[in-house]
Amino acid sequence: MRSSTRTLTRLVAGLAGIAALAVGLSGCSGPGSSDGPGGKTTVTFRIWSDDAVAAAYEKSFDSFTRANPQITVKVDQVPWANYWDTLRTDLSAGSGDDIFWTNAYNFAPYADNAKLVDISSALKNEVDAWEPSAVTQYTRKGTLWGVPQLIDGGKVLYYNKELVGKAGVDLTDLAWNPEHTADDTFLPALKKLTVDSAGRTADEPGFDGTNLKQYGFNASNDFDAIIGNFVGSNGGLYQSGGKYTFASNAKAEQAIEYVVNLVDKYHVAPSAADTNGNADFTRDQFLQGKLAVFESGAYNLATIHSSAKFDWGIAPIPAGPAGRIPVTNSIIAAGNAASKHADATLKVLRWIGSEKGSLALGASGSLIPAVTAAQGPYFAYWAKQGVNAKPIVDGVADGTLKNDIIPNAAATSDDLTTALDEIFAGRSNGSIAAALKAAQTAANAGLSE
Amino acid sequence: MRRTSRRADTITYAVLIAGLLITLVPFVQSLLTALKTPEQFASSPATALPNPVTLQNFGDLLSRYGFLRAVLVTLAVVVTIVVVQVTCSVLAAYAFARLRFPGRDALFWAYLGTLMVPAIVTTIPLYTLFAQAGLRDTFWGIIAPSLLGSPYAVFLLRQHFLAIPHDLVNAATLDGAGTLRTLWSIAVPISRPIIATLVVITAVSHWNNFLWPLIITSGGDWQVLTVATASLQTQYNGNWTLVMAAAVISLTPLLALFLVFQRQIVSSLAIRGIR
Amino acid sequence: MGARADRREAVTGYAFVLPSFVGFLAFLAVPIAVVVWLSFQHWDLITPARFVGVQNWLSVFADDRFVRSLGITALFVAIAVPLQTAFGLLVGVLLSRRVPGSGLFRVAFLIPWISAPLTLGIVWKWIFAPTDGLLNAVIGHRVEWLASPQLVLGSIIFVAVWSNVGYVSLFFAAGLGAIPEEVIEAARIDGAGGGQTFWRIQLPLLRPTTFFVLVTSLISAFQIFDTVYALAPNGGPRGAANVVSGRIYHEAFQSFDFGRASVMALVLMLILVVATVASRLYFSRRTEYELS
Repeated sequence: MRSSTRTLTRLVAGLAGIAALAVGLSGCSGPGSSDGPGGKTTVTFRIWSDDAVAAAYEKSFDSFTRANPQITVKVDQVPWANYWDTLRTDLSAGSGDDIFWTNAYNFAPYADNAKLVDISSALKNEVDAWEPSAVTQYTRKGTLWGVPQLIDGGKVLYYNKELVGKAGVDLTDLAWNPEHTADDTFLPALKKLTVDSAGRTADEPGFDGTNLKQYGFNASNDFDAIIGNFVGSNGGLYQSGGKYTFASNAKAEQAIEYVVNLVDKYHVAPSAADTNGNADFTRDQFLQGKLAVFESGAYNLATIHSSAKFDWGIAPIPAGPAGRIPVTNSIIAAGNAASKHADATLKVLRWIGSEKGSLALGASGSLIPAVTAAQGPYFAYWAKQGVNAKPIVDGVADGTLKNDIIPNAAATSDDLTTALDEIFAGRSNGSIAAALKAAQTAANAGLSE
Repeated sequence: MRRTSRRADTITYAVLIAGLLITLVPFVQSLLTALKTPEQFASSPATALPNPVTLQNFGDLLSRYGFLRAVLVTLAVVVTIVVVQVTCSVLAAYAFARLRFPGRDALFWAYLGTLMVPAIVTTIPLYTLFAQAGLRDTFWGIIAPSLLGSPYAVFLLRQHFLAIPHDLVNAATLDGAGTLRTLWSIAVPISRPIIATLVVITAVSHWNNFLWPLIITSGGDWQVLTVATASLQTQYNGNWTLVMAAAVISLTPLLALFLVFQRQIVSSLAIRGIR
Repeated sequence: MGARADRREAVTGYAFVLPSFVGFLAFLAVPIAVVVWLSFQHWDLITPARFVGVQNWLSVFADDRFVRSLGITALFVAIAVPLQTAFGLLVGVLLSRRVPGSGLFRVAFLIPWISAPLTLGIVWKWIFAPTDGLLNAVIGHRVEWLASPQLVLGSIIFVAVWSNVGYVSLFFAAGLGAIPEEVIEAARIDGAGGGQTFWRIQLPLLRPTTFFVLVTSLISAFQIFDTVYALAPNGGPRGAANVVSGRIYHEAFQSFDFGRASVMALVLMLILVVATVASRLYFSRRTEYELS
């Protein structure tokens, strides 16, 4: 007992020593946004966790500091899953980083409550350099509230060349139609690509939809990748005027019902039990070679490129009655109105809104810059990898889904997801249309609480 | 104490081994995932074995993702909190158990009451306080709320101090020892096992603490392990091979700590009669 | 002893309590007081707080999702806590027999408790996955553990019990080890069999341990969050896994309605106070003291 006590004491002393060292090495207080000696300023820049993006920004800021030696920029990565909680908490205490990323779903309350820097006046000469759809998305009542940083472009179909070739399907010009099945070439193509465990495809008699070996498509409760695109391509409105309209707008309702039928009626997609609450499932099945057509955006390009062991290609999304109209999103870097370094912050904002500042971002291949002049390097990067990424931005040629922001959407989005999960799982009490109506009513009621 | 019936032994081993398998299966899967390349993890089922086995994830964590610093920060946080908190809790628990002063029991129940309010809501007012005091993103900001004692620790220690036989304490007092000396030379040595347990419990709970360090820090410098692990995940990519490697890195020091302390702990966690 | 000695003892008492009291006051009591104040305000964190009287209290009690979450959480606690206590007791009994290798078993059983809950939750999510999940691969049948409203709560209970058995068994093993040999011997001499010794002698002597384990288990089970968040985000299929902490989190960080979140937290606290007091009453009437 004695010797172990001595060992323990030595252990504790050792640990305490390490602790003291660690604390001492970094000083008692962390850097934070502070003014160092000699008039140096540190501007803090917050993004959600993404190693590749952070590295690209750091490269860009190295160039910035070379041109502006008095200002260093510190890139803070905050876990994506908790980004909005910590942002709200920080801004509520009048603190937070000097510049931070935000997306369209979340920025409106901060804009409306004077937490963000007014970019349309502060940087009014630079607005033309940015992608117009991004500028529109973040303009509220005539004011632009951030510097657009990245755009999604449109959506595309990533497909498994071997599976598609074996089924003899051509994906280049498909069309879907919820009313006139004769004009629908998309569903028949998917049926040929769906195989059950007995080897039958979905258009053969005796096909067992509950026992699939190969999935045709990744239809699931995913607004950005699937639902938004179908609603747009049908000419519908998912939300409008600050409220949800996906059930009351007939074309939107029709489109959603079409997608649900792909899952529950025609079984050309995995069961909702696999995809609800599990966004990775369809992508993983695609990468394992078990899913033929994967509708998604630029954000999955890098993963597919590095992990797919098969020959894959990119095709445009199927055209609906209104054309190929995807949902598109962008991200801005907003200035913190409570920042203690307004001038330095503005200089950094101007930098990241410029072609020179965004070059490193595009060249990393990890995001499509919103600064239109800096988009070339993105496509050059992917061309060098042997991938033609142009279809992604060409996908918005017919237009994009008009998606008016709902300022406090976060209040009911979880419950809405649950309600839609139930519909996709085939558990709508009554018709899909009625269930969608109930979900819409509940979601809108929650917004005005 | 041991009944040497072979049947009883067989049943004992059977149940323990079954329990062991059920306990360890998730960790085996977690370890196997940590040994896969991200490409393999994405392109084959989760239950597949790593092929090839790779240490790339661990290497990446330590070099690209700043995990060495996260380990040091977490270590510093935990050691400081454990040393100071256990000391303050021992003092308070001894007072609640063996000293008489007005308001003693009411105060003790107030302590217990604070265990029952979910941390989610108290975090916001606490954060506002710290932000106003300029303690955002600092080492002291991370440790301050837990530094001066914990109601759980006071609860546990008080029960044990209550059960120390009066004769021992009285003997010391008769010898002229003050309260502090009695505490140090009689109560603490007797309670060594429970204090060892408390050290482990406190270390574990602060090592795995997520919510407060997340909110009080921003970015890389003062990230603790839990926050650094969460930062591995991007909006569209779970990066599971990295996350599982991080989980293995997080688990190992605690396992080592427990192996070192376990004999101390097991000799008695006995909680005697409650007054 | 004398008034002066009493006063000296009181002063010493206050002095000993002082450091932790400062912490308690500044970092626990004051925030809780703010939470109580917030329960009568409407606050979304970025606009100034606005007094609304008892409106939050009324709306929370009228909110049937919240009331339902109380029921679901109560059901969870009513099943998980006895299960983990019983299994913990079983493992504790087996470990106290000190068969060779008990030390290793003890450490292994504690691994779930020392792991961070979020990573554990994810691994269990993989194990429970309908396609390619380990569990379904082992039983050879496709069961939708987490997607079925009937099975999701049971799956969560399983994971919660699994996480805590080791920790509980630690306390019981030590508690059993503290019962003096003479007591067991005396019972054997009197002709009591193994079972009788356990139920009539050892278990009653374990009551103080059981009290501590139950109270702390109750308090933490009612507040369960990380496991549920990982296994059934958004409250699970048809909201069958909606626990109180989940509603509080939703209210605080998704609806950004901090007034209502504060009310919910206070309701939870009241429930826990009642549960703790009830446990104490039950146990204080039946506790055996040490037999020395």
